[in-house]
Amino acid sequence: MRFFKKLRRRWQLDRDLEDELRFHLESKAADTGDASTARRLVGNPTALAETCRDMWTFAFLESAWQDLRYALRTLGKSPGFVFVAVAALAFGIGADTAVFTIGSAAFSWDLGIDHPERVVFLEIDDPSQAGGFESSFLNYAALKSEIHSLSSLMAYRWMPANVSGKGVLPERYHCVQMTANAFSMFGRNPLMGRYFTMEDQHPGAAPVVVLSYHLWQERFGKDPSIVGRTLRVDAEPRVVIGVMPAGMQFPENAELWTPLVSERDWLSGGRGAPLFFGRLADGVKLAAARSELSTIARRFARQRPESYRGLLIDVQPIFELMGFYHARALGAAVFCAVGFVLLIACADVANLLLARAASRSREISIRMAIGAGRWRIVRQLLIESLVLAAGGGFFGWLIAFTGLRWFDSSTSQAPRPLWLDFSMNTRVFLYLAAISIGTGILFGLAPALRLARLDVHNAIKDGGHAAAGGTRGRSLANLLVIAEIVLCVILLAGAGLTIRSAMNLYGAPVGVNTAGVLTMRINLPQAKYARPEDELAFHARLKTRLESLPGVEVASMASDLPMRSSRLVSYDVEGSAPDAGHSPRVGSLLIGTDYFRVMQVKPLSGRASVNAGEVIVNQSFAQKVWPGENALGKRLRLVKNKTPQPWLTIAGVAPDILQNFRHPVQRDPMIYLPYAGESPGGVFVIARTRVPAATLAEAFRQEPPALDPDVAAFEIQTLESRIAQQRLNVGAFSAVFTTFAMVALLLAAVGLYAVMAHSVSRRTQEIGIRMAIGGARHDILALLFGEAMRPLAIGLTVGLPLAFGVTRVLQASLVGVAPGDPITFAGVVVVMVLAGVLGCAIPARRATRVDPLVALRCE
Amino acid sequence: MGKAKGELVQGTLDMLILKTLARAPMHGYGIAQSIQQISDEVLRVEEGSLYPALHRLELDGFIDSDWGQSANHRRAKYYKLTALGHRRLSREANNWSRLAQAIARVMEMA
Repeated sequence: MRFFKKLRRRWQLDRDLEDELRFHLESKAADTGDASTARRLVGNPTALAETCRDMWTFAFLESAWQDLRYALRTLGKSPGFVFVAVAALAFGIGADTAVFTIGSAAFSWDLGIDHPERVVFLEIDDPSQAGGFESSFLNYAALKSEIHSLSSLMAYRWMPANVSGKGVLPERYHCVQMTANAFSMFGRNPLMGRYFTMEDQHPGAAPVVVLSYHLWQERFGKDPSIVGRTLRVDAEPRVVIGVMPAGMQFPENAELWTPLVSERDWLSGGRGAPLFFGRLADGVKLAAARSELSTIARRFARQRPESYRGLLIDVQPIFELMGFYHARALGAAVFCAVGFVLLIACADVANLLLARAASRSREISIRMAIGAGRWRIVRQLLIESLVLAAGGGFFGWLIAFTGLRWFDSSTSQAPRPLWLDFSMNTRVFLYLAAISIGTGILFGLAPALRLARLDVHNAIKDGGHAAAGGTRGRSLANLLVIAEIVLCVILLAGAGLTIRSAMNLYGAPVGVNTAGVLTMRINLPQAKYARPEDELAFHARLKTRLESLPGVEVASMASDLPMRSSRLVSYDVEGSAPDAGHSPRVGSLLIGTDYFRVMQVKPLSGRASVNAGEVIVNQSFAQKVWPGENALGKRLRLVKNKTPQPWLTIAGVAPDILQNFRHPVQRDPMIYLPYAGESPGGVFVIARTRVPAATLAEAFRQEPPALDPDVAAFEIQTLESRIAQQRLNVGAFSAVFTTFAMVALLLAAVGLYAVMAHSVSRRTQEIGIRMAIGGARHDILALLFGEAMRPLAIGLTVGLPLAFGVTRVLQASLVGVAPGDPITFAGVVVVMVLAGVLGCAIPARRATRVDPLVALRCE
Repeated sequence: MGKAKGELVQGTLDMLILKTLARAPMHGYGIAQSIQQISDEVLRVEEGSLYPALHRLELDGFIDSDWGQSANHRRAKYYKLTALGHRRLSREANNWSRLAQAIARVMEMA
């Protein structure tokens, strides 16, 4: 309160004081009857006013305000310098803030539950059969009663489901089956209704479902009467009993929950075993839980050696399952990269300030001579730096904002977790403010301290050449430039590697005609399509309907698409001795008739369609198994669960297609089997269209529900855009690194230019002398260049090995190029030297143009 | 400052001002006149110390100021005591009387 009163009074103080003193004088004059004596008695009114004013002023703030106005004035006099400095800072700060925003959004792992870091899951390694241990409800119950290090044991299983209802097209959502006790662990009350109780888990209980806020908002428009309505989830009617609050999505991206019914739902049914998880009990550490569970595992193995010999149970934090957790290292790499850019920008501005300091030393020394303390000078210079940093921060915010918008729109199609939000919130603004101020102090401190240590006497005499121009000043500037070059080299190396990676990726032909193919996914609910014949019938009807749409040439289906994945199967080849227990494996794809017609792939030999009892292999496979021979007519068979299946005849050899996104440039061996109605994971329906594929998207979406209202079509995309998305990761990464590297290169070149220009201007006299006593132009050039190239050479020598070590981090994301690729590094050296030469060229030329007479006379 | 025998330490000037204002709100000139008259011209308060003291007391919150009309209808700044000022005055007065009694006892010892 007093502060504001003080502030208000301060503005009126001078006028008030004048009035008050005038009244005093007049009263005194009236009383004593003598005006002149009265005035004399008052003493020095100015001193009085000053004393009073001193009490009311905020001395610190006022002189700071003064400094600020002065800073703005002096900066206004050198617009070129301000432009370069603010631009450099804006790029650095903007890029840094953008990366921070993306990073803090992607790496915050907010599941909307209490203390997610205490939630762990059990990683069960059952050597007899994957998922065998968890599929037994008895094992779950036994574990639940024995475990002490977890407060309770729960389980969930992913079960993506079609949700259908009246009037709206069915859609596919991420549904999760979960035990009822999980909800109480979350610590969040439902927004509406209730969540599961133990009764809902009993077999024979009425089927219920709990919705997530996201689903309630998106599909039901936040309908307040949703609780109690019935939905069809995978063709099964379920009553909605509650809606969870916004932001709650455990596990990641869960959109609705159904109870994991005891015993009945436990068996896999082709869906995979449930995942056991729980919250660490209070005060229990992860290591303790691990040791307890390995003891329990050993006990199970002892008690039931025929089933569980070699059983291992490990405990991991639930974060391991979350989207970007594994990309932590990569995220850190990008964050460091952008930090380098910011540091380079700071070094640049520091160098520019140092150069500028030389011309200001006279002014500063005069100020110090008339009484400014050293700290006042330092404060003045720091305020100048902070003004520059504030300008950089403002424009950096604009750059970050634009960059984020671009990034958001360019990745909106890629699979992204629901909770990712790239808006700039308070935390981001605080970060922006912090690094703006931090960089201001960082680059401003060195020149400020240097100037404040001026020997005032000599500075005034010398006319400014000593300050910041002496050997110490130069070596600091050189050091900064060397540091800039080192960082730049590292960034260039990263950029070069990612560029080559992207080129490899985009350059590799997929092997199919990707244009003009529309794809969508459907999943037939088990409840309705239990028999393979039912599925086959549905697909046949769907194919007919799709092909009858105008603009569709031919339709087909497959278990997977190119550039995604394939299913590994074990096989035996006729005529070769089977290696018991170790059948070789190969990637396989289930295809419908006309698959190769849709993909416009002509077989190398034999047929392009495969009937029952037949198989098509690709060229890599044929050459691997029967090198030099014709594979047509040969036979192989699959081996499932160590049981050989009936023989299949090879009916055709297809050219290689890139099937696996993990090996984006490798041509893996593949076999193509006819689709026979078994599809626990859903299938892809594909069609070749005569018209632009995207125009048929809506029509395609309506077709499966038209046949069966419980079947939803989802992920409707053209094959081209799918593949583009697959490649987007590498492409985006490369674009990011290249942008940073280019900015860094520009900044480093500017840095070299500044150092060189300053050096030349400082040595104008010396150059004049050299030329006057007979030095030729090219001698001067050689001298200057040699001097400038020295920091470049040192920078390269230090930077290249560092870059070599640092780029190892990128190894996982590189395609077809090794982290130590010599071509890339050679390119880095060339680019760096070019930039250095360019940066030095202008000042060097200017130096040789100097007229010796002018130079000798100038100061 | 004033004559040697009328010299006032800063703290005592504050106390005198507070005491003067405790009787009635007054403007700066009036305070100085009042102290001078009541002390029989022994204590003379110069403007150079009065106004800084008044402003300091106002800053610390012991007195409040407001513009008003003087006796001869001129604009003057009137000061008055705040609750904090009252407490301060009583504390200072106690300290002063203790100090005065102590000095008196020493002087009587002779």
